[in-house]
Amino acid sequence: MALITVDAVSKAFRIPTVRRDTIREHLFGLLQPRRFHQLQALDSVSFELRAGETLGIMGRNGSGKSTLLKVLCGIYAPDRGRVERRAAVTPILDLGVGWNPELDAVDNVFLIGSVMGLSLREIRRSMDEILAFAELQEFANLKLAHYSSGMSSRLAYAVAFRAVREVLVLDEIFAVGDAGFRQRCEERYRQLHAQGHTVLLVSHDPNIVKSFCDRALLLDHGRIVREGSPGEIADSYVTTLTHRISD
Amino acid sequence: MATAGSTATSGSERRPALARAGLIWTLVRTDFKARYHGTLGGFVWALLKPMSMFVVLMAVFSFLFASKPTYKLNLIVGLFLWDFFAEGTKAGLTSLHARGYLLTKTRVPPWILVVTSVSNAVITLAVFSVVIMIFLVSAGHPPSLSALVAFAGYCVALGAIVVGFSLASSGLFLRYRDLNQVWDVVVQAGFFIAPIIYPLDILPERFHFYLYIWPPTPVIEFSRAALVAGVMPTTTGHLYLAVDAAICLLVGILIHRRLSPRAAEYI
Repeated sequence: MALITVDAVSKAFRIPTVRRDTIREHLFGLLQPRRFHQLQALDSVSFELRAGETLGIMGRNGSGKSTLLKVLCGIYAPDRGRVERRAAVTPILDLGVGWNPELDAVDNVFLIGSVMGLSLREIRRSMDEILAFAELQEFANLKLAHYSSGMSSRLAYAVAFRAVREVLVLDEIFAVGDAGFRQRCEERYRQLHAQGHTVLLVSHDPNIVKSFCDRALLLDHGRIVREGSPGEIADSYVTTLTHRISD
Repeated sequence: MATAGSTATSGSERRPALARAGLIWTLVRTDFKARYHGTLGGFVWALLKPMSMFVVLMAVFSFLFASKPTYKLNLIVGLFLWDFFAEGTKAGLTSLHARGYLLTKTRVPPWILVVTSVSNAVITLAVFSVVIMIFLVSAGHPPSLSALVAFAGYCVALGAIVVGFSLASSGLFLRYRDLNQVWDVVVQAGFFIAPIIYPLDILPERFHFYLYIWPPTPVIEFSRAALVAGVMPTTTGHLYLAVDAAICLLVGILIHRRLSPRAAEYI
């Protein structure tokens, strides 16, 4: 059964030659018309995410991976096509989840946990577990503004791994923290997989895709150019990169 | 074949009501904490601004309007309602931008971010309403039950106006980043358009209609009539305010529905 269906989804961004972000700039620019470039980030992308599988997505920088994840999670609206979600999606994008730097770790866990669909009781019950997973118990009452990017990312993974309900969407998994933290992430991922959770995983690392995915897609210029086993896709991705370098 | 872009959700993808209530409470609580450094002292400190403004204006203008025995009471009612309008709209206007860190990384209904951003202004208005009641009672003008009910209704109408404005302007602010500066000027001018520091009857009656178009004016005037003068506004007046608030809220919802699906792209 497909938990997420992506049907002929396209997404383009209009990039102006001159940015105008204020009323003043728009008024003063009335007599200076600007041109727009169309950046086609996704071009008629279709696939299904089936229950219980881990689907890997690979592609060069600018191939549309991040846009696809954002469309799939409902953060961006598609221009054309249809995304149908039949399960709760927990995203961890851009190595983080979005923190309020003015709040401490405990309040940020409440904030992000609530946004990800956990009840207040579930968050209270899991607080120690989350802080322990991120190894941040002694910094629990420190404002996030004083955290390093690694500490913030560890906390993000800890909350999201606890909050995941059905589908986990991960951008560059296991790219944060030290070896010990990465190992805990891998163990937690295997637990979730064993429990039947569905995962969509974006990575540049062929070894991660080969180790963790059941099947994979290769994106290029906003299109799915190949679909197959993780080994095939990882090899195609490496070949694409090698050709580009030799060209 | 799929043409227009669409996203459909079903089954367990929808957020449970309990989790949604938890999200709203957490947003209100963390906003309060971030704004007032998590202390009651911080909140009391924030109340000092409108309180000191009231003291200064009362000191200056009560001489000017010495012939009006209820001037001080009318001033405090007008000033605190205005403070709610000004603070609520300013917070609402920047709400999506201020909480952009949530919009770009997770999926959260933007309207919740906008509506909860007005919560601090609501808390302040609740505290000020108690202050207003203490002033009224100590000045020998204890409000009747019907006046209190009417005042609550006017506050709800003003709340709908503030939320409607916030829903519309928060999406526009992402596209026009100096909209807050424009709104600051409008609020400054609006303070004098609304009859806060002067009684409305010092102006010729033919201008009253125009002043009533400015949304805070009917709320302030009706509240004064009910609480201070003990006179209920007419049914037509109530109807006008209800329609005014409903139109503001409806237009806000329509603009928000149009702009919010692409809000994350403008952050």
